[in-house]
Amino acid sequence: MNQPDVIVIGAGILGASAAFHLAERGYRVVVLERGAPNREGSGTTAGNLHIQAIHTRRPGQEVPVDSARLLPLQRRASDHWSQIEERLGADVELRRGGGFMVAETAVQEEELREKHEWERKAGIPTEVLTGDEARKQLPLLSDRVRAASWCPLDGYANPLLITPAYLTAARRLGVEVHAFTPVTGIQRVGGDYKVLSGERSWTAPVVVNVAGPWITEISALAGVGIQMSPVAIQMHVTVRVPPVMHHLVQHIGEGMSVKQVSAGNLLIGGGWPAAKLDMEGRSTVSVPSMAGNLAQAGRILPFLGDLRLLRMWAGPLAATPDEMPVIGEVPGHRGFFVAGGTYAFTLAPVWGDTLARQIAGDPPADPVDDLGPGRLLHDDATTPVSP
Amino acid sequence: MAESEADVAVIGGGPAGLHAALVLARGGLSVVLLDESDTLGGQYYKRRTDQLTAAFGDFRPRGTELIHRVRAAGVVVRTGTLVWGAEDAGRTLFTSDVRTGALGRITTRATLAATGAYERSLPFPGWTLPGVVTPGFALHLATMDRVPVGQRVVLAGTGPFLLPVACALLEVGARIEALVELNHPYRPSTSAIGGALRQPARLAEAARYLLTLARHGVGVEQGARVLAAHGDTQVTAVDIGQEDGGVRQLETDALCVGFGFRPSTELPRLLGCDTRADPTGTEQLPVVDADGATSVDGLYVAGDCAGIAGVHAAGVRGQLAAHAILRRLAPERAPVRLSGLRRRARALDRFAELADRLYPLPTTADIPDATQVCRCEGVSAGEIREAAATGWNDLHGTKAATRAGMGPCQGRECGHIVAALTGRNESWAECFAARMPIRPLPMAATVEGQDVP
Repeated sequence: MNQPDVIVIGAGILGASAAFHLAERGYRVVVLERGAPNREGSGTTAGNLHIQAIHTRRPGQEVPVDSARLLPLQRRASDHWSQIEERLGADVELRRGGGFMVAETAVQEEELREKHEWERKAGIPTEVLTGDEARKQLPLLSDRVRAASWCPLDGYANPLLITPAYLTAARRLGVEVHAFTPVTGIQRVGGDYKVLSGERSWTAPVVVNVAGPWITEISALAGVGIQMSPVAIQMHVTVRVPPVMHHLVQHIGEGMSVKQVSAGNLLIGGGWPAAKLDMEGRSTVSVPSMAGNLAQAGRILPFLGDLRLLRMWAGPLAATPDEMPVIGEVPGHRGFFVAGGTYAFTLAPVWGDTLARQIAGDPPADPVDDLGPGRLLHDDATTPVSP
Repeated sequence: MAESEADVAVIGGGPAGLHAALVLARGGLSVVLLDESDTLGGQYYKRRTDQLTAAFGDFRPRGTELIHRVRAAGVVVRTGTLVWGAEDAGRTLFTSDVRTGALGRITTRATLAATGAYERSLPFPGWTLPGVVTPGFALHLATMDRVPVGQRVVLAGTGPFLLPVACALLEVGARIEALVELNHPYRPSTSAIGGALRQPARLAEAARYLLTLARHGVGVEQGARVLAAHGDTQVTAVDIGQEDGGVRQLETDALCVGFGFRPSTELPRLLGCDTRADPTGTEQLPVVDADGATSVDGLYVAGDCAGIAGVHAAGVRGQLAAHAILRRLAPERAPVRLSGLRRRARALDRFAELADRLYPLPTTADIPDATQVCRCEGVSAGEIREAAATGWNDLHGTKAATRAGMGPCQGRECGHIVAALTGRNESWAECFAARMPIRPLPMAATVEGQDVP
């Protein structure tokens, strides 16, 4: 299929979801992936389903996320995730055990209450508990927890399973997935885009750039200057233990997330920076980040001290200057869509559906015009590629 | 976190590490020798307990003497210390006390990894049954504890190591039901004999073992292999596939199967040194020069972790690496003539190459789909093949899709099999990435907020 309707660049969770939603609408789709699908950000992420607002910043993050703005999309994402295993016909280890977001100080507790108001308005069920009430539900929480917000919709899906599940379902609908096929050029040919990978090429009126950390690089091939930057963050995982914790535990003031995955390992993250980003190989983990992240997690969940750390890894994410996600058609480049950034894992089903609606000319279920790529364009790099 | 400094850190207290530490300390450098075990010596110069030594004598007196000299030379010996990570080209080492979990950090001017090797296992139906062990484990039981791994033992696999294990088992009273060697090393072609004749000591060693076996009426059955182990809660029988295609079943209560050794290369790979495929095509070895210098400036490797060559080569390689480090850190010292050592290293390398030719590995193609490959996560050969067959998974994608290699051993056992079953590219051997921590790390110290500046 050299002339599909849509060429999707990137077989991470966004590419896989977009391909699936497009194929469901009858589009003929080709997915091009530089390496193995799900290798980078999507396959190295924590797999959290963030339905209550995350109010915190990654260590080193300069600008906060506009949490209130994203809540309607998180609400929508929650509904998508509830149906996902049925729609894809696959077990993705989806668990909706609910989640706590803990506060240790009076100021943090106040933030929990403010956040709770936004969530109430967006129709997301949360409640603010005292420390003792939270400990009654999850006795593993330490005495340092002064208050916690509880959202029954928070959860987890296995990032190693969801993207392959989307790809497999998309393939059943006729999507072609070309792994180990790095895009080397994008040319405008009439109203179409010709996408090259070495000697091979595909031509289509629509290109969806969901290349995650490579989103800027791929856009540049089409003459589009997008301001996004890859950042490497790291994750920590313990050896398997019997089930002890069914909830996601996060911190309102600091980047921290802890949960037990289906296999029994405890996964500890929070967006702490890795030592070195390596886009060609594997990024290098930072020992100070490990120490910081584990110390903080141990402060809230002291039982972690009895476990053994099995492995650490670093994975890239694509950050926008305003820390908000980006989605939509690039102004002045008809048919060239980009999507990525903040909350990409949680929002992936929503973004796949939204991209498919935008490409079809239908309005999205929730308006996203303010999240379009126009705000990220370099002034000097918006000239369309000449035919 | 406990901080310390040394001119050189030597990681691994086996033959290579001991020889290197001795040369370095005698050369006037401050040396810290780190080993995860409680005692120095590694797998070859293992230490018997005092009681056993009193009753049965010193297991390897030359090792005892070497360890004594190392201590006398002023080497700071830190046993019970796990090196779980490294940075800065190996000049920063992260350690953990094996007993307390207390973290430490060592800063060095050069680092020598002498981390040895693992035994190589290959899966077959029944290999996870209790009573199926590696030859190394059987040897350890026999020599350290004077306990036979079983009363009636079948030894199988390939490699010269099967011979001393069989002899050690006979010595502690086990009966060898069969000694099954996959290849035909003991009626070698003329060219192979030519190579072996240049190593009379090694040849004599093999002849001694074969003689002992013959005296006990144990013959080496060549060109045969274990097809399957049977049993309910314990291995009770073994199917041996014979050269003529026949299969015979033997009753047994222990089965030792091993296919030689695999270098333990996590540390140099973690530090990003250049690698090349080893002769078996299933491992990535650090690329080193004649002195064990890697592509990472200041990082050296010696001994079996740089390529399986045995105890004698490890000692020589350890000394060569130590002299190279001395030249680097103490160039004012008079140059030492190393031509003898270098000659010996080359000869031992040639012998190792001969062993690689005499004991090739079997193909993984006929591992049945139902056979478990990753024991930690319970992943079968069929599941791995299925993940690879999507066409979009390489080794790392297969790991992610199946969890093979994600358990406590981090793929140390199964990685080479997963790689062989997955292999997209036949021109190089892929392997799982080395990651920190190199071994599972007790979190208590970290979780208590111990500072890692």
